[in-house]
Amino acid sequence: MLRNGNEGMSTIPGFSQIQFEGFCRFINQALAEELDKFPTIKDPDHEIAFQLFAKGYQLLEPSIKERDAVYESLTYSSELYVSARLIFGFDVQKQTISIGNIPIMNSLGTFIINGIYRIVINQILLSPGIYYRSELDHKGISIYTGTIISDWGGRSELAIDKKERIWARVSRKQKISILVLSSAMGSNLREILDNVSYPEIFLSFPNAKEKKRIESKEKAILEFYQQFACVGGDLVFSESLCEELQKKFFQQKCELGRIGRRNMNRRLNLDIPQNNTFLLPRDVLAATDHLIGMKFGTGILDDDDMNHLKNKRIRSVADLLQDQFGLALGRLQHAVQKTIRRVFIRQSKPTPQTLVTPTSTSILLITTYETFFGTYPLSQVFDQTNPLTQTVHGRKVSCLGPGGLTGRTASFRSRDIHPSHYGRICPIDTSEGINVGLTGSLAIHARIDHLWGSIESPFYEISAEKAKEKKERQVVYLSPNRDEYYMIAAGNSLSLNQGIQEEQVVPARYRQEFLTIAWEQIHVRSIFPFQYFSIGGSLIPFIEHNDANRALMSSNMQRQAVPLSRSEKCIVGTGLERQTALDSRVSIIAEREGKIISTDSHKILLSSSGKTISIPLVNHRRSNKNTCMHQKPRVPRGKSIKKGQILAEGAATVGGELALGKNVLVAYMPWEGYNFEDAVLISERLVYEDIYTSFHIRKYEIQTDTTSQGSAEKITKEIPHLEEHLLRNLDRNGVVRLGSWVETGDILVGKLTPQIASESSYIAEAGLLRAIFGLEVSTSKETSLKLPIGGRGRVIDVKWIQRDPLDIMVRVYILQKREIKVGDKVAGRHGNKGIISKILPRQDMPYLQDGTPVDMVFNPLGVPSRMNVGQIFESSLGLAGDLLKKHYRIAPFDERYEQEASRKLVFSELYEASKETKNPWVFEPEYPGKSRIFDGRTGDPFEQPVLIGKSYILKLIHQVDEKIHGRSTGPYSLVTQQPVRGRAKQGGQRVGEMEVWALEGFGVAHILQEILTYKSDHLIARQEILNATIWGKRIPNHEDPPESFRVLVRELRSLALELNHFLVSEKNFQVNREEV
Amino acid sequence: MVREEVAGSTQTLQWKCVESRVDSKRLYYGRFILSPLRKGQADTVGIALRRALLGEIEGTCITRAKFGSVPHEYSTIAGIEESVQEILLNLKEIVLRSNLYGVRDASICVKGPRYITAQDIILPPSVEIVDTAQPIANLTEPIDFCIDLQIKRDRGYQTELRKNYQDGSYPIDAVSMPVRNVNYSIFSCGNGNEKHEILFLEIWTNGSLTPKEALYEASRNLIDLFLPFLHAEEEGASFEENKNRFTPPLFTFQKRLTNLKKNKKGIPLNCIFIDQLELTSRTYNCLKRANIHTLLDLLSKTEEDLLRIDSFRMEDRKHIWDTLEKHLPIDLLKNKLSF
Repeated sequence: MLRNGNEGMSTIPGFSQIQFEGFCRFINQALAEELDKFPTIKDPDHEIAFQLFAKGYQLLEPSIKERDAVYESLTYSSELYVSARLIFGFDVQKQTISIGNIPIMNSLGTFIINGIYRIVINQILLSPGIYYRSELDHKGISIYTGTIISDWGGRSELAIDKKERIWARVSRKQKISILVLSSAMGSNLREILDNVSYPEIFLSFPNAKEKKRIESKEKAILEFYQQFACVGGDLVFSESLCEELQKKFFQQKCELGRIGRRNMNRRLNLDIPQNNTFLLPRDVLAATDHLIGMKFGTGILDDDDMNHLKNKRIRSVADLLQDQFGLALGRLQHAVQKTIRRVFIRQSKPTPQTLVTPTSTSILLITTYETFFGTYPLSQVFDQTNPLTQTVHGRKVSCLGPGGLTGRTASFRSRDIHPSHYGRICPIDTSEGINVGLTGSLAIHARIDHLWGSIESPFYEISAEKAKEKKERQVVYLSPNRDEYYMIAAGNSLSLNQGIQEEQVVPARYRQEFLTIAWEQIHVRSIFPFQYFSIGGSLIPFIEHNDANRALMSSNMQRQAVPLSRSEKCIVGTGLERQTALDSRVSIIAEREGKIISTDSHKILLSSSGKTISIPLVNHRRSNKNTCMHQKPRVPRGKSIKKGQILAEGAATVGGELALGKNVLVAYMPWEGYNFEDAVLISERLVYEDIYTSFHIRKYEIQTDTTSQGSAEKITKEIPHLEEHLLRNLDRNGVVRLGSWVETGDILVGKLTPQIASESSYIAEAGLLRAIFGLEVSTSKETSLKLPIGGRGRVIDVKWIQRDPLDIMVRVYILQKREIKVGDKVAGRHGNKGIISKILPRQDMPYLQDGTPVDMVFNPLGVPSRMNVGQIFESSLGLAGDLLKKHYRIAPFDERYEQEASRKLVFSELYEASKETKNPWVFEPEYPGKSRIFDGRTGDPFEQPVLIGKSYILKLIHQVDEKIHGRSTGPYSLVTQQPVRGRAKQGGQRVGEMEVWALEGFGVAHILQEILTYKSDHLIARQEILNATIWGKRIPNHEDPPESFRVLVRELRSLALELNHFLVSEKNFQVNREEV
Repeated sequence: MVREEVAGSTQTLQWKCVESRVDSKRLYYGRFILSPLRKGQADTVGIALRRALLGEIEGTCITRAKFGSVPHEYSTIAGIEESVQEILLNLKEIVLRSNLYGVRDASICVKGPRYITAQDIILPPSVEIVDTAQPIANLTEPIDFCIDLQIKRDRGYQTELRKNYQDGSYPIDAVSMPVRNVNYSIFSCGNGNEKHEILFLEIWTNGSLTPKEALYEASRNLIDLFLPFLHAEEEGASFEENKNRFTPPLFTFQKRLTNLKKNKKGIPLNCIFIDQLELTSRTYNCLKRANIHTLLDLLSKTEEDLLRIDSFRMEDRKHIWDTLEKHLPIDLLKNKLSF
């Protein structure tokens, strides 16, 4: 129902569809599948039987609105009703009962759990099945192994050694003979020998001892258990042991699942029915046969490529939620069993609903899901920095997480781009750093087959017969394993001369190779130049001129762009901006046609087929990343609108297109060293014209608790011992007034924690005060919410949340307007990033030949070594577009039309602009794209022509306000006694090895001394320095080592190495030992 | 002799407006020439004028707006399409023409539903609107809408810290830069030694003043900057006298200080920090808090300045004076004795 109906056309699929499809599968199929598994619960006497039916379950509409869920910190969920039957003696009751709440996905493809938007990322895992591998050991002998991977990720290995014995190894433990394994799984020697192709090999290796072990199933199981669980001694066969083995081995290591069964059948040419999802002895024997075949050359020598996408599967929201639902049902089953037992004792008459309504049971489902969303690594806080981020986040695929790889241990090969990724997973969009290659992004046209968990990519089918039959081309979706058998023509050079395709020789892909073959042999061709890229990658104009590393950075940095107060469309784009903005759902789109009754900053009233619909608008709301979400109405009153028309625009969208940055005039030239090492020089114009001004909303919250003595904290304005100045913004309840301007240190919520007034706990002067004046010293401690360092802004919202009378939570939302300033990070769309180093008045900036001052000055040295030439094309074309009032949308790989197509386009447009505006300096044939510009301070022309243009520059979320930090005093880490790390913890700045060298180089011994001792980890010196400074004494000079050295000595001692020093007296050679 | 030659060889400098057009209400363009100039002079004048035009011209804008009953500037008002923030941004862009000094009040009072444009601003007499069509807000409901505005003439731009103004008014980061863009070019003409230059000056303004007016104002501002050089250098005595006028006759402290300042040519005063004076910690802290770090800072303060410092007492003054006497060279003391 969500699939788009026109399969024949190559429309770009909805970008959030991946998430919706997953969730739909969960609701439509997975729920029924799990309910099906719910067993009939009976009491021991079989008098009561409780049953759930998979058919006819219902989900109620959520009881709260999405917005309220966010605001009140609730979970957006809907109640699940299932039909149930209770047989009580002869009484049969059927009832539709509620078994709990299930979190519901909203239109963004996210869930709201406790008021926070969360999203579940698709996981990409090795498919269950068997994989063969041959490798050389250190002596150069080939070793053949087959790895069986279960549905849960458990591995067992079959290997054949040089003595031709076959071993099985379960989860990297001791190796077990294959005969023991098979016997333990339930087949006897006879069966084994009957079922294998090479019985002689099986017979050759078991010695007498071995034979004895497998003579009965029990013995084999015992033996297997001993090896598997690594327990020694004599074991006696028992049921419990068998059960444990069942649980630990057969369930965890042998469940193949639906996909695993298919893969196994396919790989080993078996015909075991699909519903048999467990590993059978037959599988093991067939696998062994194949292994022997590989070893002796009779089989095909084919290694499996574990990194091929055909051997991977996607575990989507559906699968994860299904697992959790199964878990919750399991718990429900236990709970119901317990209740039934209790009912039986009490002899009361139950109904199906009463069995599942005790408080603990009714919240079972929701608590299971809340813990899942809260703790599962693949459930992440929805990244809402800008609309692009929102869209991209749901399309991520990750190899990490339970059952997957880990960032530290994953091999290079598993991070690499694989030929099967083409058109499915973007080769450039991945994270930088430790997880490089492990988290990817789906290509824009890719689609997930939720049944088998494979990623499919669309292609045009162009076989000769088909072309004759019907004129239109057919789109086929190929999964990675089918892809291999087709000759796939790459998108380039095809749009050329369509008439004379017959004679053409085209580049193509076939079985991971690149070939050049005749046109007739081509089966399918790619449909779109962007097919290979993710959304982030396909928003980069001239991406084909950029180095992949820089394109990677760009696709990551576009996701960090902050929505600006007034957005602007890019002059040079790729044409995907519209779809991205639409699918991010930050704008409001008319769901039906109608007429606008009124518009307002709060809401839009729409009359549609006689009904009036009120569409609420978002006003300065905080996103998860503290950026500001705001919607502005874009339709005039009284206008008739169509379905799908934009009614209101969200942050960072203009006219329905994504608008993350601003077009500014840039020059690539050095300027007094202010753009050394990627620094950027900007004009004051960007500050005062609010070009890069963004809004940031922070949330500060405080909760009242009850102290251990049982007295409750209270929120009040009356806070003793505090300056009146800090309390000036509080209203009479003690909470900051709406609309007040607050600065660092101001009290947002005044709170007092009562303290028990025992005589001993008085502070020193309190006793005196009491004695003299009879004053009662306050018996409470001030624990107010203060605005932390760096915070300032306007209080735009104050929210009280009261769950019960003692537990009050107050939230204060503070909006901050941030102009661009020195230290902020800006970036283009080509991985060209930099930090603002200086802001110059406009008259000091270099200016063009028509007097226009430049807005930004980049370093030209940032281009050649980074190989992101796309920025040059963009800036030149941007300049032309700015002068001609044109916007360009350029698909990548335009070189397929002709050689140097991009350059030709840019130059012709520049020439056009130059002619049109009668500005000869725009295009000068001697140095096209460059222009002579002047120094604003002296009026002198610069020595060489300089490249100027209009680039689309983004302001990133990394802003100084959130980084700047200093420490006078603060916490120390416990063991080393050195200052802790990090701004959040008021940490210190590390003076590392190289910094020490620098100080040594300058010969500043005392500064080095103070940094290494009393500013860091010399405990005694640290304490004495305070006194010394207060009393104006000399700072003591200690000779003993600082704490971290003592830690070193103790660590050496734990390795049985003693490090110490002794003083030997000159007179009597007496040794004085000194403890370090 | 040289002066005569200049006067003889060239005609008097003349300027002319070559081209002047109004592209829109908020974009005026003017092109001027100045000629004849001797070689190199065009550059001197050109860059100076460009910088003066871009940086020194004053403009009038709205600096503060007060809304009736709005909790904060990011809230919304029912019946208006724009949020308060957007209205403030629109007000920021309104171009005004005036020659006022100080702050004036203006207001907007309209009844919806209608579009509010710059036309609706009720202005004080000396201020007028350049582009009456500039949008401010769109009222969609029949509501009364009032904004009180403050208008100020200023130069450059101000980013005010938003302090708590209890009256509920919000500052607008006003940009008073009426000149949009300036360009100059130089043309050489003549031959041989008789070369002279013509300066072309192009000015784009936002309509609050014509390019001609901008040029006039920039030149005047530029001249004002040079004026001090035209006066003879002021004598020390006159400077001292000048100061004495403000000092009450009873206190001779200021006189002494200035005297000290005058006589202490030998030691650079800004190199002596007050730390070195061994003042009591109290006095020291007082001075530090008042941003007095060096002896020069101290000496350049008048006595009233010092007494105005928080918790600065007469004893401190005496103490400082005693210390100064103790530390400064003997000739100073002698000098002091003469008073």
